[in-house]
Amino acid sequence: MLKIKDLKVSVEDKEILRGINLDIKPGEIHAIMGPNGSGKSTLSHVLAGKDDYEVDSGSIEFCGEDLLDMEIDERAIAGIFLAFQYPVEIPGVSNANFLKSMVNSVRKARGEEEMNAMEMLKYLKAKTKLVELDQALLKRSLNEGFSGGEKKRNEMLQMAVLEPKLGILDETDSGLDIDALRIVANAVNQLRTKDRSFLIVTHYQRLLDYIVPDFVHVLYNGQIVKTGDKNLALELEKRGYDWIKEEVDGVSA
Amino acid sequence: MAIAIDNKSAAIVAKYRTLFDVKEKQLNGQKNHPLQTIRRQAMDRLEDIGFPARKDEDYKYTYVTKIVKESFAEGKGATIGKNVAEAAGFPELDAYQLVFVNGVLNAELSDTKHLMAGLTISDMKTAYENADTQALVEKALTNELGLNAFVALNTAFAHSGVFIHVAKGTIVDKPIHISNITVSGGAAIMTHPQIVGIAEESSEVSVVETYYAVNDGTYFTNSLSRFVVGKNAHVHHYKLQNESQSAFQINNAIATQERDSTYSSYVLDLGGKTVRNNLSSHLQSSGTNTNLYGVYLAKGNQHIDNQSFIDHAHPHCESNELYKGIIDDKGRGVFNGKVNVRQDAQKTNAFQQNSSLVLSNTAIMDTKPQLEIFADDVKCSHGATIGQMDETSIYYLRTRGMSLEQARSMLQFAFVAEVLENFQIEAVKEKALAMMADKLG
Repeated sequence: MLKIKDLKVSVEDKEILRGINLDIKPGEIHAIMGPNGSGKSTLSHVLAGKDDYEVDSGSIEFCGEDLLDMEIDERAIAGIFLAFQYPVEIPGVSNANFLKSMVNSVRKARGEEEMNAMEMLKYLKAKTKLVELDQALLKRSLNEGFSGGEKKRNEMLQMAVLEPKLGILDETDSGLDIDALRIVANAVNQLRTKDRSFLIVTHYQRLLDYIVPDFVHVLYNGQIVKTGDKNLALELEKRGYDWIKEEVDGVSA
Repeated sequence: MAIAIDNKSAAIVAKYRTLFDVKEKQLNGQKNHPLQTIRRQAMDRLEDIGFPARKDEDYKYTYVTKIVKESFAEGKGATIGKNVAEAAGFPELDAYQLVFVNGVLNAELSDTKHLMAGLTISDMKTAYENADTQALVEKALTNELGLNAFVALNTAFAHSGVFIHVAKGTIVDKPIHISNITVSGGAAIMTHPQIVGIAEESSEVSVVETYYAVNDGTYFTNSLSRFVVGKNAHVHHYKLQNESQSAFQINNAIATQERDSTYSSYVLDLGGKTVRNNLSSHLQSSGTNTNLYGVYLAKGNQHIDNQSFIDHAHPHCESNELYKGIIDDKGRGVFNGKVNVRQDAQKTNAFQQNSSLVLSNTAIMDTKPQLEIFADDVKCSHGATIGQMDETSIYYLRTRGMSLEQARSMLQFAFVAEVLENFQIEAVKEKALAMMADKLG
């Protein structure tokens, strides 16, 4: 589904990603872990199409298409969803109206029929339940004044309504209490299908207690330096990131 | 006070004097009607005052002389269909309706037959000839408060005008919609829509002015509305302006507020080549509330100037002003919010905010909050921001499948929606939103 080959990316002439290779097949869950500043968020935003990054070399293929050739919204329509680490607050745009116009513009672009008001109401209600979000938050301005947990659940709600092929969670778990974390994990587990894949970017292992990944990759200094299964995450939790750095940098403590 | 008038202004005023004299000659028997005397006095006042010069600080950014120096014929009415009147108004809103086409009342499209008890709507002449309201008309039309050259011009040239009287304790059951429609063709015209609204003690009324162009064309609308808001009364005053993109509008709204009264102004400016709003509220006693809400969108070569003045002359009064707008292309916006808090006006609460989005390198916004505070126990605040669209927000919306255009339009909408939330009449708010959506594309 997603094939990243030797991806090199820089920001303002500073090289952030230095040759990433990653292959995600339908239905797989991949976790990317790594210390702060390793390039995790850069990878997430490059996949979503943010303008600030310069792709120096390499390729990204998504469902057989050249992802780097697509606009931000075209990627979303093709089935990429990025849950933001810091969801943006937009005063004056009601959450419900935002969800409605989002769903219908994506459905239209995907060649599906737009939903009428009744269908939409039912659809949103079901999805809101899935992420255990208070219905009252739908009437408020998008993310404005939401707690950290509410913002992240709102991201999960957007993911649920857009039904992407690949869901990318950019440190969605950072700063969440255990209840909110459980709800986020539950949303991912319920949305998991044999065709839908996830890329979970996280600094902590804790989320992976609830979402069992097929692969765990360690990103350090802009490269994937280690790949394993869920046990690698547990080891990282126990030993921290220093031993990885030592292995890679060849310096002993 | 002697005011030096430059020659250019004097020559332009002389042109209007000639026009006035010709018109007066045609009046025959009506020439000595007291209302005509008031008009003539206004013409005299215009000669005293003269049109503002470029060096006039209040007109620094808006060169109005270029409007009045053009030649405009007086509007003589035009025929339109019911469908046009509906497109210009609120078909879904139950309202008392007055439709003016090219400055002349169209009785057929108007509906003021079944007025509730306590409400009077008439033309100015009828109101003047009524002994009960004569003094009110005379006082309103000769009031020096808020007077400027364009107020005088309107008073001198107004056609039939609209007089609204709301008796003590009357809560008017539905809004009064005054629709001004312009059909262009042939010589450029000028119209001088005029409203005098008197809300007696503890009454409440909503007046909605709309300005609509059937086709693109150059013309000049110079309107005046004077409201006298009685003790504990509330006047809601709306203006939805969508003039032709080649038209000029100068809009003068002047409120005088008695004790414990509330005057709320809601303005949406979308049309016009050059638009100038002179809005002022003069507080005559304590305990008053003044709410001024405004939205402006200037694109192409549009120029929209909002001047407001609130004169806090008495203690325990509140004013609240929120103006937001978007300037794109080669558009230009001006905001000048004067708030005067006189020495006696202790315990005044005055809040003012003006925020603009400037979307292109050639768009200009000039904003000038001007608070002059002479009392020492007051709460006054003002803020002015000029910014661009937030790139992170656009990116966020696009990752949710919205096109760049959709995302930009959604954010622009959201930016001004905060102001429209204050519109009290749902149908007017909906119409304002729809008009904005049309303009934002």
